[in-house]
Amino acid sequence: MHFKFNRSKQIHQSLRSGGFLFLLFLSISATTVAQATKHADEMPRDERGKYIQYEMVEKSALPADSLKERAAAFLLLKKMKKVQNDSSITANGKFIINKTALMLAHPSGELRYNFTFEVKDQKYRFWLTDFLFIPYKRDRYGNFVPSTPIGTALEDSPGKLNTAEWASYVDAARKLSATFAAQFKDYLAAVLKVKTPAAKKKVISTKSW
Amino acid sequence: MSAATYAQDSTSTTPLQLSGSVDTYYKYDFSKRPNIGTSFAEDHNSVSLGMIDLALKKTTGKASFVGELSFGPRGQYGSVPNGNGEAANADNSFHIQNLYTSYAFTEQFSMTAGYMGTFIGYEVIAPTGNFNYSTSYLFTNGPFQNAGIKANYVFSPKFALMVGLFDDWNVYRDLNGVSHFGAQLTVSPVEGWTAYLNMLTGRSAGAPGTGSIYDLTTAYQVTEKFKVGLNAADYSVSNDNGGYSGAALYLQNAFTPAFSLGVRGEYFKTKDIPDFDGSSVTSVTVSGNFKAGGLTFIPEVRFDNGNTARFVKNNLDPTKSASQFSLAAVYAF
Repeated sequence: MHFKFNRSKQIHQSLRSGGFLFLLFLSISATTVAQATKHADEMPRDERGKYIQYEMVEKSALPADSLKERAAAFLLLKKMKKVQNDSSITANGKFIINKTALMLAHPSGELRYNFTFEVKDQKYRFWLTDFLFIPYKRDRYGNFVPSTPIGTALEDSPGKLNTAEWASYVDAARKLSATFAAQFKDYLAAVLKVKTPAAKKKVISTKSW
Repeated sequence: MSAATYAQDSTSTTPLQLSGSVDTYYKYDFSKRPNIGTSFAEDHNSVSLGMIDLALKKTTGKASFVGELSFGPRGQYGSVPNGNGEAANADNSFHIQNLYTSYAFTEQFSMTAGYMGTFIGYEVIAPTGNFNYSTSYLFTNGPFQNAGIKANYVFSPKFALMVGLFDDWNVYRDLNGVSHFGAQLTVSPVEGWTAYLNMLTGRSAGAPGTGSIYDLTTAYQVTEKFKVGLNAADYSVSNDNGGYSGAALYLQNAFTPAFSLGVRGEYFKTKDIPDFDGSSVTSVTVSGNFKAGGLTFIPEVRFDNGNTARFVKNNLDPTKSASQFSLAAVYAF
């Protein structure tokens, strides 16, 4: 009986610690999902119901043609295909979404989007919208590649079973777009640096002294 | 405990990537015994294991490596080679799916050396790469992997060419020297449609002739929901030493983001050899894919019909047809 009691106690203790870990895992997962869902709700939508990252800058120090030139240079830097008109630029881009766990990560999909830039006098506006998600799959060589060439609109319902994962993609779209917008505005506001020749390095002679 | 993070396109140096899959299945053969002789999922009326597949990848500048190992019946006993290829070590081994290094000299030109998933065919060993859980006859009879060195040149987004020198099929080392030549022409005529024209030829150690396989693998995402795939192959061993030919058509439709249904129809024929006629088999497989996060449930029914009595009935009498039901769970991470 004594043995039985101890064994039961051990089992009880191990179940209790295991149960605790399970509950901890559940609560962390639930919190992560809840946060992703909450943040996904914060992404604004346009009049069509599409998710949008919209920014307007009213008092730029640069004239319209300079702003347009810089915008084109930024898109070139990002390797985005663009079409230029008199006062606007449209382009297509993509963000890669990575799944991370501790120090390890692998891409889980990409978000394609349309970018529009319009300039008038010394003010400009731009927006990212029409987000399409394309999941990645591992190919026969162990590389992650798009599983389909046609994306799913980020506004589409993924079904109940995939809601949490989808919310994390919307949340990623929100963060990535905000980062992109900040970089874009910084690039257009940056003062052009004049290239100065590198100073000649001083060579120390040990022969004469 | 994973979360989506973000990055603007890929950088030249990536963190170490860890990915893989786990799969398990239940199969019921209507003759009440294992009957259809394709790869994997062989056990009848049993909740059985597939494999755990673990892959590591790292890119530093222009150099990268991939190491992918699998453990479990699908990887160890269902795939070849087991252990070092010797029978004595066959039951206590892991299986290498990929083990190679690669160097991208330019954005267009790269070279790869090591042991790689084969470039031939539509289906692969890892269940995450296939829509149907049971495999086709073309997959089972074709190469699984090729060790070798290959050069790949991307001429344009619509056109690429790979050429390489390879060992015999499915071996970690070649006993008769680097004996095979292979090539793959990739053509992408329109967005969503990619076709691979493959060939691999050479004389394997101890083979009675030179084996040459010519293969077409193509897939077209017609709409957001509907996809068509085709695999056709012809394999011959010189000096009338047989081979096979066949074709498989894949039709898949995504009814919702979480549910897809697909049909595979296949015709497969072994070639005649002196004093022995080849035989053929037609197979139809209907599979569903229910997705919940990283998990995919695959209920599947399969009907095979041969021109000869290649299967057995419940009482072991030979019969021309066989059918089975299976339910698989595949988790990708």
